[in-house]
Amino acid sequence: MTSTLRRAEARSTLRAAASALRMGFDQTLAGWPVLAGRCLFFGLIMTVLSALWDKVAAEQVAGAIALPPGGVVLYVGATEWITLSLPAVYLRFEDDIRSGGLEIHLLRPKPYLLQTLALGLGGGLARLAALGVTAILLLALSGRAWPPLEGLAFLLVLGPLGLLVGVMLYALAGLAAFWARRTLPFQLIIQKLMFLLGGLFAPVTLYPAALAEVARASPFAAHLYWAGAQVMAPSLMGFLVGAGWQLAWILLLGAACLGLWRLGLAKLLREGTI
Amino acid sequence: MSFAVTAAQLSKSYRYSRRGRGWRAAFSSEQVTIEAVAGVDFQIAPGERVAIIGPNGAGKSTTLKMLSGILQPSSGAATVLGLVPWRQRKALAYRIGVVFGQRSQLWGELPARDSFDLLRHVYDQDARVFARRLGEMSERFALGELLDQPVHRMSLGQRMRCEITASLLHGPELLFLDEPTIGLDVTAKAAIRDFIREHARDHGLTVLLTSHDTRDIELVCDRVIVVNQGRIVVDQPTDQLRRRFLGRKIITFQSAGAAVSLDLPGVTRRAGAAHATVLEVDTRVVRVEQVIAAAMADGGIEDVTIEDPPMEEVIHDIYAAAR
Repeated sequence: MTSTLRRAEARSTLRAAASALRMGFDQTLAGWPVLAGRCLFFGLIMTVLSALWDKVAAEQVAGAIALPPGGVVLYVGATEWITLSLPAVYLRFEDDIRSGGLEIHLLRPKPYLLQTLALGLGGGLARLAALGVTAILLLALSGRAWPPLEGLAFLLVLGPLGLLVGVMLYALAGLAAFWARRTLPFQLIIQKLMFLLGGLFAPVTLYPAALAEVARASPFAAHLYWAGAQVMAPSLMGFLVGAGWQLAWILLLGAACLGLWRLGLAKLLREGTI
Repeated sequence: MSFAVTAAQLSKSYRYSRRGRGWRAAFSSEQVTIEAVAGVDFQIAPGERVAIIGPNGAGKSTTLKMLSGILQPSSGAATVLGLVPWRQRKALAYRIGVVFGQRSQLWGELPARDSFDLLRHVYDQDARVFARRLGEMSERFALGELLDQPVHRMSLGQRMRCEITASLLHGPELLFLDEPTIGLDVTAKAAIRDFIREHARDHGLTVLLTSHDTRDIELVCDRVIVVNQGRIVVDQPTDQLRRRFLGRKIITFQSAGAAVSLDLPGVTRRAGAAHATVLEVDTRVVRVEQVIAAAMADGGIEDVTIEDPPMEEVIHDIYAAAR
């Protein structure tokens, strides 16, 4: 195949993926009652967590561990914003692979893996948008100090990138359906690691130095921590380092997803059913 | 002559480990091989409409999977539209359409129009050509307002019309249909059959269909391949098969009182439940309406159902005749 043809094919594949992304976005917006419920849940979670971190600040524990008192609430707001936006792509993979529904997708000329990831990401972006509006309303109602403008600008980049890292981690859990009847155990392990090493409720810098380094270098921090850190204490260097980790993990996880997909597909084409 | 589909000694066997009983079985297992398709040979000409039928586990789905490229054969060869399906699946995908009666290819929450729009990008279709095709099919299939209705709010018949439209919008040369009328009411079935037959005739579309409904086969296809235990048992024109094997109907009369008593040539009684009389009617000898009229004249009839004999019975008859 000539390079011109290859480029044309890549462009058409990306166009189809963009169309799937838009479809995922529209589909999530079409289910607006579910989305509204998610926004309410976000409000409830933030009410509880901000009360907790306000108490920590009042007792000067935050100062003792070198965190800006009001900043931790903003940090948790950012990590919850991403966590609650994450679509359950593992269920879509499990359903398609285990029910045989994958067959109809394999009979289409565009790669199923990319189309499904784009569809999931589109849904996640719709949630990010709705929960983002909710977060701004909550912040305005709470009367808290707004984060620095540059922090918000960094968050607009690191948030969607963190979401993509999460989508890929869940995709790995979903692709396990080629070998396991249920993907829930894999998803639960990944989810707990997101909470622990990703720093869902508190920045990973609270961990002992060695553990903090491990956590910061993990894909789970790329999913949550780096976005949260920028809204708490923004800096251009921190933003660039965070974006670098996120992009590196997107490439690595993308390769892992592709490898797992190819192994699973070879099994399906050989055996007919899973 | 170049064929749309060729299969030569196409075979597929599966291996699995069978464990015995008892504690020894924990340490040993027996390798079992199942021959799902055992060397089938056939050719299908462009524009031909062919049904592949057979009882469950006969090998028809395995054959269709190999021909569509989503299953690698154990041995043998096949070409579809000049391509080797399992090696050139992507290139083939642009040229075939697929409908699985029990699986949807549309997105439930959104209007069908949005799904069609995504499929336009998936198949790299020119917007104007795509819009023209959608307009034609929309008119022929009376989709109208359905296009803007979320798919999950459609009836099964409406959804199936949209499914078939989705499978044809990229202008395929060959259409695979797996149980396209399953679960539909009589009117919806008729609409689907008419559309497929006429669309295939007008566009020179090759059709490969599997169904348990003998009317799908009779009304859509001009040739039938019967498979059983992975082998082709019969391969002949539908007319010929109809004359020999598809001339029976099963009529069930529900009555409040005694069983219906009929003495007509070509009618035999089958075992029925209480207040239900089940008759097998040979339509080459007596017409269905004659049987119903005779039973109604007898009085006391509360309900009537007319069905085709189960496909398993038809296959059994064909298989018996072939031996």
